[in-house]
Amino acid sequence: MSERIAVAAFALVTLVALWVAPWAAFSRETGSRAAVILLPDRVIDFTGRTEPLSVPGQGAVLWLSVAGLVVVAGAAALPGRARYGAWLAAGALLIGTATWGLAQFDAAVETRRAQAFQEAIAPNIADPRANQDAERLRQLSEEALTRPVTVSVELAREAGVVVRRLPYGGSAPGFAAFLTLAAGVAALLFGLRVWPRAGRVLDRVLTAVAIPAVSIALALLAAAVVILLLQPTPVGRDVVIEGPFMALAGRLDTLWHAYYILFSGSLGTAKGFFDALSFATPLIFTGLAVGFGFRAGLFNIGAPGQMVLGAIGAMFVGLYMPGPRWLVLPVAVLAAAVGGGLWGAIPGFLKARFGANEVINTILLNFVAASLMLFMLSSSPTFAASAVRVIQLIAVVVAASVVGLLVPPVRRVMRISPRLTLALVAVVALVGAVVVAQPRPGDQPVVLNLPFKAPGSEPKSYEISESARIPRLPAMFGIDLSVTPGTNVVPVDAAAWVAGLLAVLAFVAAGALAAVRRRGFLARLLAALVVGAVAYAALAALGWRALPLAIDPTNLNPSFLIAIAAAVFVWVFLFRTRYGYELRATGMAPKAAEYGGANIPRNTVMALAISGALAGLTATHYVLGGALEDYGLRQSLPTGDGFDGIAVALLGANHPVGTVLAAFLFGVLKNGGSAMNIAFTDLTRDVVSMVLALVVLFIAAKGFLPERLTNPLRRAQALGDLPEEPAGGTPGGDVPVVAPKVAATEGDR
Amino acid sequence: MDTVVLLALLGSALRATAPLLFAALGGMFSERSGVVNIALEGIIIFGALAAALVTYFVELPVISQTPGASVWYAPWIGVLAAMLVGAGVGWIHAVVSIRYKADQIISGVAINLMAIGVPAVILTGLFGNSATSATITNRLPRWGEGAFQFSPLVYLAFLLVPITWYVLFRTPFGLRLRAVGEHPEAADSVGVSVTRMRYAGVMLSGVLAGLGGAYLSIGGFNQFITEMSGGRGFIALAALIFGKWHPLGVLGATLLFGAFQALETQLGGGQLLPPTVVQSLPFILTMLVLAGFVGRAIPPKAIGKPFEKG
Repeated sequence: MSERIAVAAFALVTLVALWVAPWAAFSRETGSRAAVILLPDRVIDFTGRTEPLSVPGQGAVLWLSVAGLVVVAGAAALPGRARYGAWLAAGALLIGTATWGLAQFDAAVETRRAQAFQEAIAPNIADPRANQDAERLRQLSEEALTRPVTVSVELAREAGVVVRRLPYGGSAPGFAAFLTLAAGVAALLFGLRVWPRAGRVLDRVLTAVAIPAVSIALALLAAAVVILLLQPTPVGRDVVIEGPFMALAGRLDTLWHAYYILFSGSLGTAKGFFDALSFATPLIFTGLAVGFGFRAGLFNIGAPGQMVLGAIGAMFVGLYMPGPRWLVLPVAVLAAAVGGGLWGAIPGFLKARFGANEVINTILLNFVAASLMLFMLSSSPTFAASAVRVIQLIAVVVAASVVGLLVPPVRRVMRISPRLTLALVAVVALVGAVVVAQPRPGDQPVVLNLPFKAPGSEPKSYEISESARIPRLPAMFGIDLSVTPGTNVVPVDAAAWVAGLLAVLAFVAAGALAAVRRRGFLARLLAALVVGAVAYAALAALGWRALPLAIDPTNLNPSFLIAIAAAVFVWVFLFRTRYGYELRATGMAPKAAEYGGANIPRNTVMALAISGALAGLTATHYVLGGALEDYGLRQSLPTGDGFDGIAVALLGANHPVGTVLAAFLFGVLKNGGSAMNIAFTDLTRDVVSMVLALVVLFIAAKGFLPERLTNPLRRAQALGDLPEEPAGGTPGGDVPVVAPKVAATEGDR
Repeated sequence: MDTVVLLALLGSALRATAPLLFAALGGMFSERSGVVNIALEGIIIFGALAAALVTYFVELPVISQTPGASVWYAPWIGVLAAMLVGAGVGWIHAVVSIRYKADQIISGVAINLMAIGVPAVILTGLFGNSATSATITNRLPRWGEGAFQFSPLVYLAFLLVPITWYVLFRTPFGLRLRAVGEHPEAADSVGVSVTRMRYAGVMLSGVLAGLGGAYLSIGGFNQFITEMSGGRGFIALAALIFGKWHPLGVLGATLLFGAFQALETQLGGGQLLPPTVVQSLPFILTMLVLAGFVGRAIPPKAIGKPFEKG
């Protein structure tokens, strides 16, 4: 029922949007001003200096879309099969119309640009300069309409004419086109219910993605309000916004372009995609770290601190370990993990031994770690002589206490009354501190000169040695952009990369196919390998083994692969080892797990240590991978990634695969946030950090969805059909475990 | 050390205690009702922001006429705004964690995350810079003599200790609040609305933490700076545990932490220890305290558990 209302409402909203929202935009210039087209043939120019553009066939697009939308909305009142059939047909019509219309728009823009190109080179044809080839230019002008304008411009440059600033650049689909497409997709999707099997699959998918999808949508909706409040419609110097109609179109265009910027940079270009992956890399680590903790029933908010300690560990190895790369680099990666792991083990130990809450301790350790990093990167920290004596005294007292605890007779005496012993030690330490803290004649302050601190006031360390560095992507393909800017096109063995990716996808997809999964892990692996091999052979035949690709400067580096490896490790550890099973059992029901023989204290320390190690591995990106401008420890280490990891883990449902996907989404958003900074005058990337926070809040509130939608069992009951498949068919098989409990509550009422 | 230094130290210790006390007492209302409030840190930040912004915009019309003019009511309206905004943010935490039965820690973390992003967005919109607000001219007055000149909010913070004690332990409201946190089923069975009591507890904690924020931005300072809370919300939470969820215990705990922060100001400045070392000391101390070196703390029994009306 609610589904029908939702689809119909969406169609009606789209119907309104077709009239008031821009259908496409062109001539987008600095400051995000643009001219927009509203169906059927109105052009509103916010730049104040664009010639109007008319696109043929837009009237047909409008009326076909309207027809499709009316059918979608009206069909909501029809009974079962008729409704789904109508939705299928109308959905296909909407998608087809929108695609065709946008193709028309692109063609029109391209034609006008080609004509402008012809006009631009016309003077040179008539009166060529010495270095210009008039004959070639004439030929180019004649053929301009047959090839892409960018190619023409490139060829013209070879013929000696540099064409700049062609009009109608930055054209893109608008809000109305997007909504039409979305309405078409929605109608098509729900129309699939014509086939009951597809309907069941749809139900399962919807249940699985409902909470994250709704949460993201709500967060983006909230961001819309902020965007509209902060950013006035960008207009050219002489443009006055007249009338509510133009104002509304402007607002909708601002909003749409903000979202478009947020996503298009990362998903539209190879460089943007790499940058998004680069942003995602540390988030994969921290997301895995937090998710791993969640699985064990522990809330690790200490990822920022663990990142710092990982970075410190990596820096030490990178600076001081001599030797060849094959030795130093793995040790440096290990040091990053160990640094973070030890820092994570501290709250683990405190919880296991003293029952101290890990939430607060991990938070407190973040502050300690931040201070520690600042201390290490500050220039010549100074201690007063008396302070040094106090520190020495504390060290002696602590050492004496530890030694005392290790000697059985002393230990026995101390155990008589631990509190009294503690009080005694404290009093001795306090009195001693007061005594040694008294100034003495000849006291000189002690100045530490930290050997790894780079000279100067900037808080950063020396750069690590070459052998500990992970090269960035361009460098891996032999491009040194600082030496040869521009010549960044190299033959790349794309076949191997694509085939590898396909193999991984095949492996994942095979998991969804019951037929393959039943034959076991090896069969899956084999299937994936076969897919990879076939793909490689096919791509090699296409000549993809040496594809000339342009590699733009990007921070992406192979630490991304380490992150993927870490995700695989977490998956194997959690779901394929005894330890992982024990951890998950501890997380779900600690008492039952303990009864079943799990060692809770050991598991707590281990879980937080592994979690910390995962967070510490972010150093492979930031220190070893040189993502912070240079290859060293810097105070600008973005420890906020540790907090973002919480959002990533929640969005990814604490599952490694989900975590990687969520991290990628956040990488796209962060990359888009940077683009937003540039594209708009009044918007900053803080909008994105707000979106991330809202996503966490909304996911925590289960997307504000009613329980009958979020709880699979309740949903099945509400629909009137419990899943027919046996429990073995559903992943996790947790339905029967829950069933008696829910049934009991139902019975109680 | 001579008396003057000692008195100054005592004064600054009391000043440093005030925001911690506000937040910790606030946290007590929330946690006694059974809702973990890790969002204190975020609420402090929102309160500080609201106080600074409202004070700024209330005094703006007068200041723009005669620069430097005194607008005595401006900071008080700011304080009121901080309380309201604190209650509002507390309400968000309450809705998500009570109505939608979210994990209370996650909900709190989300609010803390918002306290990073949202102020930056608002400041950018208003002042074109994402880190600080404009400075205000009329901050809260100071009452007192010599080293003991305090903002009224400092007096209020200490006055709140007996008030909180009285409310919690001598009024029907307090009894119900504690009952809801200890044994919600029992409270429910005698007709106490668990949901309503928890909403009240969480929103009250928001009001108090908001006051703590107001003290930071317009009591102890004259503008809002991002991260001006500097972990006080978390230290307050630790003080709450250390003080065993009792007003007097909380007073002792926050005084200890406040004294440490005051020492930090005295020790820092490169005289004795590097400032970075001193900064980390309160956090290390808190961890040692939490590790139970001073005895175990028993939290309210139903803390962190959403109430399912059976």
